[in-house]
Amino acid sequence: MKSEPAPGMRPTTLLREALVSAVARPVPTAMVAILVAATCLVTLLTVGRTAGAEAQVRERLDSAGARMLVITDIHGQGLLNGALVASAASLSTVESSFGVASPLDVVSTAQGRGGTRTPMWQLVGDLETAVALTSGRWPERGEAIVGEAAAAGLGLDGPVGSVEAGMSYWPVVGTYIARDSFSELDDGVLVPAESGTARTLYVVATSADVAAKTQSQMIALIAPLSLADLSVQSPTTLADLQADVGADLGAFGRNLLVLVLAAGAGLSAVVVFADVLVRRADLGRRRALGATRRALGILITVRTLIPALVGAAVGTAAGAVVAAQWGTLPPRSFLAGTAVLSVLAATASAIPPAVIAARSDPVRVLRTA
Amino acid sequence: MLEVRDLSFSYRRGGEELFGGLTHTFTHGAVTAVAGASGRGKSTLLYILGLLLRPSRGVVAIDGLCGSDLTDLARSNLRALHIGFVFQDAALDPSRTILDAIIEPALYSGSNCSKTTSRALDLLAQLGVQHRASHRPGQISGGQAQRVAVCRALINDPAIVLADEPTGNLDRENAETVLDELRRAAGAGTTVVIATHDPFVIDRADEVLAL
Repeated sequence: MKSEPAPGMRPTTLLREALVSAVARPVPTAMVAILVAATCLVTLLTVGRTAGAEAQVRERLDSAGARMLVITDIHGQGLLNGALVASAASLSTVESSFGVASPLDVVSTAQGRGGTRTPMWQLVGDLETAVALTSGRWPERGEAIVGEAAAAGLGLDGPVGSVEAGMSYWPVVGTYIARDSFSELDDGVLVPAESGTARTLYVVATSADVAAKTQSQMIALIAPLSLADLSVQSPTTLADLQADVGADLGAFGRNLLVLVLAAGAGLSAVVVFADVLVRRADLGRRRALGATRRALGILITVRTLIPALVGAAVGTAAGAVVAAQWGTLPPRSFLAGTAVLSVLAATASAIPPAVIAARSDPVRVLRTA
Repeated sequence: MLEVRDLSFSYRRGGEELFGGLTHTFTHGAVTAVAGASGRGKSTLLYILGLLLRPSRGVVAIDGLCGSDLTDLARSNLRALHIGFVFQDAALDPSRTILDAIIEPALYSGSNCSKTTSRALDLLAQLGVQHRASHRPGQISGGQAQRVAVCRALINDPAIVLADEPTGNLDRENAETVLDELRRAAGAGTTVVIATHDPFVIDRADEVLAL
């Protein structure tokens, strides 16, 4: 006879024993599963909605409109030229940029001077960054494209005809719709800039986080003699506001999540502890027959983990279905996180009762159970 | 070899001592009856021999190893591999089958599952309860339950079997069956210690240790 450690319970044996043991006692097993499922469901239907709202705020925060700087050369000093547009576009924090000159009122040649006056902008930079062509072709110098909304007012049916201002004519070679955040261009006409100087520069940053940095870089690039020469409409205030709202929603969601998880874990702990008390004869017998404290603790913990996994799967699936019907389905990562956290909380809640059970005096348990 | 030297136990520090200064060597391959009136510490001695309780004083030595010096893990492993228990009330898990109940100690010793199942079925046959293998404890009689408990105690071929009033709730026929099996185990080299006040058991024991 030796005092060397025995092989002890094999992991597969331990797992099977926990599974059989969990099935053998359906009431506490079902209660743990139901509690975890309820935790997931409540989390998804409360915290999940907040997470969904937070995701929407963040999505809006990252829309082009919330990332756009509008810089205006107030005194028309030629500060915003083609080279600047190209330099801006090459910045790592800039997604796109273009400039427009002051608008010029044009009318359709067919309508004549009494026709509808429509603004026409000369665009410095790549037209594609501002609009998408819907018919015809991109204009060469001296040609124009018309916004679909403006075409009707100009009496143009498709990319035909021309527009004029004074003695100047621009043949219309295409129609377009403006990209997001530049919708005001839909109501006018665009021509490639001839002078290469813009009055207003539009710069879209790669993300709202770098809006302030981009603003500083642009001002450095323009290098005006006086800041009073420039007007800058910055998205940073909007970005800050949205970030604050997002952070508030996030903090609220996290607090609510902790509360729900703590409540679920607390109730699970009560169920597991009650189960341990009811089964103390079982635990005492196991110890007398050679189960180590560690094996007993793991057995109780895994016995809780198994129904927790089932409950998390059912609760998360049910919560996702209901949330989808309500139109507040949170992101997938949130669904997965909810399931994992619920399982962890329930399993962790089983550890104190497991430790208590493992450290109980088996003789006292055998004699009093 | 199982022996105790100068063994004493009290449930409270400074309280009344049970079997103060007990020294005894349990004969290898024999059935020893620990006899005595109720409250003299028969069951307590069994729990101490089974390393479930630590004595207040003295030592329990199993093949020269001092039980008191071992860690809880080592004592658990020793129980799993080398000690079989028969409890007074059989103590079978009501939610598991008889076969599951018998192989339970093998789970803790890490024994081979198929070999253990085969051994369990052999033991059930020896004790005449093989037809109850798939039943649950609530579906068998008290005598059969105690025979199953003996099977469980012998499943790992332990060096020591400790039986606490194994015939206390049995009729004579069942008591004989249980004792015969314990005697057979002793004949195969197992040290069997039975706590009892049943004269029938005491008469059939190889040795008697009176408390």
